[in-house]
Amino acid sequence: MNKKERVKITVNGSTFESLVSRRKSLVDFLREDLYLTGTKKGCGTGDCGSCVVLVNGEARTSCNLPAYRANGTEIVTIEGIATGRRLSPLQEAFVESGAIQCGFCTPGMVMEATAFLKQNPSPSENEIREAISGHICRCTGYVKIVEAIFMASQNITTDD
Amino acid sequence: MSEIGTSVRHPDAEEKVSGGLIYGSDYSLPGMLYGLILRSPHPHAKIKAINIDEARKLTGVKAVVTGSDYDFPLFSVAGVKNVDDRLLAKEKVRFIGDEVAAVASVDLETAAEAIKKIHVEYEPLPAVFEPEEAMKNDSVLVHEKVKNNIVNKIEIRHGNIQKAFSQSDAVVEASFETPIVHQSYLEPQSAVANWDAHGRLTMWLSTQSPKLAQMTYASALGLPLDKIRIVQLPMGGAFGGKLEYKLHPICALLARETGLPVKMVNTRKDEFLAGVPRLPMKIWMKAGCRKDGTFLAKQTEIIANCGAYVNYSQGIQLSATTRHDNLYRLKNIETDSYLVYTNTIPKGCFRGFGCPQSFFAFESIIDMLAGEIGMDPSEFRLKNASQKGDKTPHGWHLGSCGLSEAIVASTKVADWKNKRRSLPKKKTAGKAYGIGMACCLHVSGNRAFLPFFDGAASYVRIDEEGRVMVSVGEPDLGQGSRSTFALIASHELGIPVAQVTVSRVDTDLSPHGLGTFGDRSTTITGSAVRNAAIDARNMIAEAVADELNTVPEEILFREGFVVSKRDPQKRLLFAEAAKTCSFKKAGETVLGKGHFIPPGVTMVDPETKVGNISCAYPFVAQVAEVEVNLRTGEVKVLSFWAAHDLGKTMNPIMAEGQVHGAIAQGIGFALMEEIPLKNGKTIYNTFKQYKVPRATNMPTIRALFIESNDPIGPYGAKGLAEPALTPVAPAIANAIFHATGLRLTKLPMTPGRVKQHLARFPI
Ligand code: FES
Ligand code: FES
Repeated sequence: MNKKERVKITVNGSTFESLVSRRKSLVDFLREDLYLTGTKKGCGTGDCGSCVVLVNGEARTSCNLPAYRANGTEIVTIEGIATGRRLSPLQEAFVESGAIQCGFCTPGMVMEATAFLKQNPSPSENEIREAISGHICRCTGYVKIVEAIFMASQNITTDD
Repeated sequence: MSEIGTSVRHPDAEEKVSGGLIYGSDYSLPGMLYGLILRSPHPHAKIKAINIDEARKLTGVKAVVTGSDYDFPLFSVAGVKNVDDRLLAKEKVRFIGDEVAAVASVDLETAAEAIKKIHVEYEPLPAVFEPEEAMKNDSVLVHEKVKNNIVNKIEIRHGNIQKAFSQSDAVVEASFETPIVHQSYLEPQSAVANWDAHGRLTMWLSTQSPKLAQMTYASALGLPLDKIRIVQLPMGGAFGGKLEYKLHPICALLARETGLPVKMVNTRKDEFLAGVPRLPMKIWMKAGCRKDGTFLAKQTEIIANCGAYVNYSQGIQLSATTRHDNLYRLKNIETDSYLVYTNTIPKGCFRGFGCPQSFFAFESIIDMLAGEIGMDPSEFRLKNASQKGDKTPHGWHLGSCGLSEAIVASTKVADWKNKRRSLPKKKTAGKAYGIGMACCLHVSGNRAFLPFFDGAASYVRIDEEGRVMVSVGEPDLGQGSRSTFALIASHELGIPVAQVTVSRVDTDLSPHGLGTFGDRSTTITGSAVRNAAIDARNMIAEAVADELNTVPEEILFREGFVVSKRDPQKRLLFAEAAKTCSFKKAGETVLGKGHFIPPGVTMVDPETKVGNISCAYPFVAQVAEVEVNLRTGEVKVLSFWAAHDLGKTMNPIMAEGQVHGAIAQGIGFALMEEIPLKNGKTIYNTFKQYKVPRATNMPTIRALFIESNDPIGPYGAKGLAEPALTPVAPAIANAIFHATGLRLTKLPMTPGRVKQHLARFPI
């Protein structure tokens, strides 16, 4: 009843091979088996966005993806965004603009926005709001989060 | 060079943004087990038998506990006399979700398996869900000893209500209803517990009050206080909902039973089923005024449904019953307020502590009164607004009061006068537009919350390198109180804020602090930090006076130096001075101690409820502009202007963040959020069903700060976070009325409800 599968998953550049229960979600695998607790679990039903990671470059919720289905993929989590201690420009923007209160939504927001800005480097405010509409933040009213993503988009485009 | 009043970011921002910060639900210990709870599927039933044999036999299951295994004292939260709850139900269950048994296992999957294998034989009993039903003489009793299920009745009588109504030129009345809403902190409740060989328990919790947790769980588990240590971990939101919670001591129970560390984390479903959501109320209100706008009388009946157990509901009821009476110069007041048991989920604290409920009714009634005499609602409010120096009927002393300024400021930036005239004419393509306002006041610490004492204490520790560590008993809930405390200590010691760390709370090390609630942090704990920093400063001044060739009283702390006032050439680096002080006492750490007892504050009179419960009262005026879709009933909040008298803006970026977040929660309360019950069962289990505001639901927000410079709050500061939520729903309801002429009195004002109204009263 508790069938296990062998999986090989690359997370933040390191490859892990492991036996996981078919019932284990990717978020639980990351948090419990790999101790990567930066990815948060706010709901477990795909409705809050706090568990968003990049799977082969695409942002998606990891609580409704069984870990074994991620076999062979490349995952990037919040722990893989900074370069050493150097934060990414988007992370900097979150810190600078006061977009972080309790911070529990932050990893998911940063992952979502990282993927989003790759596709749409100079979004409008409304596009940013749409892009993060799958995420719940209960602390900030989203005001400074939207500002942060906007600020980062300006920096990224001017830097290039 | 004080940094007070400049934007200082959250001390943990980098750790949070890179995923490194360990929250309560991230914490783990080697060899840890996982626990789960079995909950009652019945709203009211006798437990006839529980069979745990099969569950116990499962490989990996280390413990199965039930209420009949123990003879624990009745349980309730600290300070509240109403002990009506048990850690695990014995004999009877009283709501769907009541804790019946708990399991600890090597992994969650096995624990879930074991839960299914616990067989409980219930004898279902008739149940009661609506408080009006529960109050009837022939009603089922939720707790046998409580007649008519009325846990608490409050009667307020001031002035002469009948005479005041007879003198009124206009009288209005209406019935209001507010729903069960969940705090929806993004991180679910969690606990990790471990016992050492001497029978001492340590718990790692994301809690608003480690001290209250320690006291409550000690009595729940029948332990002396010193046998429990609470280590506070960062939390993913709280909003009042993370005071004491049964999951924590149940986790401790499993850890004791197994002799191993145990972790428990709520699922979101557990949160909706058995969290501690907002106390729902039915409020009837009648009010009268003269035609010149003088507010004369208000009569109220409140029926609050506390569910199966009281928890903090009695305090919430008191707050809902009395606080709004202090906003305007009102003399004639009559209120009857009932707190009623039903077989529904027990309720708890949520930002605003009863005020969002009562102010929804009150601030709607104010607009109705103003409308009745044809007066602009902002004028009506200005005419009656409480003022600095007032003593209210409830005995509150308003040492500072920026209400009038807030009304003027918010209406001015909103272009109120013009929009009141022009917006109703703007009906285009099946849409109507309107602008509305609402006000409120709040406390900065609430003396009536706990019986033991009010106030706070702090230690400021300075090592020989000049690094400063502040300890307090009030956790940072994510709102950034640690940055405020760091600002205060750095200001008093004349050093950069970056040199100050504020530690998390640990009951073995931190001062005895009541915790973070009631908007008490900045004002009360902030004052304690200030006093502790001054104490530490004095110690250093004492130690280095000789060296600076002066006396301690003539020494200044500024810009990183300790300086002689008379001869500024004579100075020491702060770190050098700290070292001198420490070395002179054989390496003793400079340890400043300080406390703050809010002056002039009293408990309320048990009968009349009169008492100056806080040392400083913040005020708010908010304006909302809405668009109502006349076809779908959808209400969109377009713009929001929020003026806050917070006394003094300590940290603007954080203050704005508090206002923004509160308005989002207020919009949820006004338009979207509700946990509907069906025969006592919570039918919403997920955020798909329970809708909270998303980025796409938010208006543009402008926050304005009024600095009324309170004489008691530190540097003039008062509370901010809670009252920012309170006026949102009535401001929106008043704006909807302005747009459509429809008075909505039931929250949330969902498209369905608005549409129903539109169908009945087409415009
Ligand atoms: S935890 Fe995955 S979406 Fe909420
Ligand atoms: S910062 Fe707390 S949920 Fe977003």
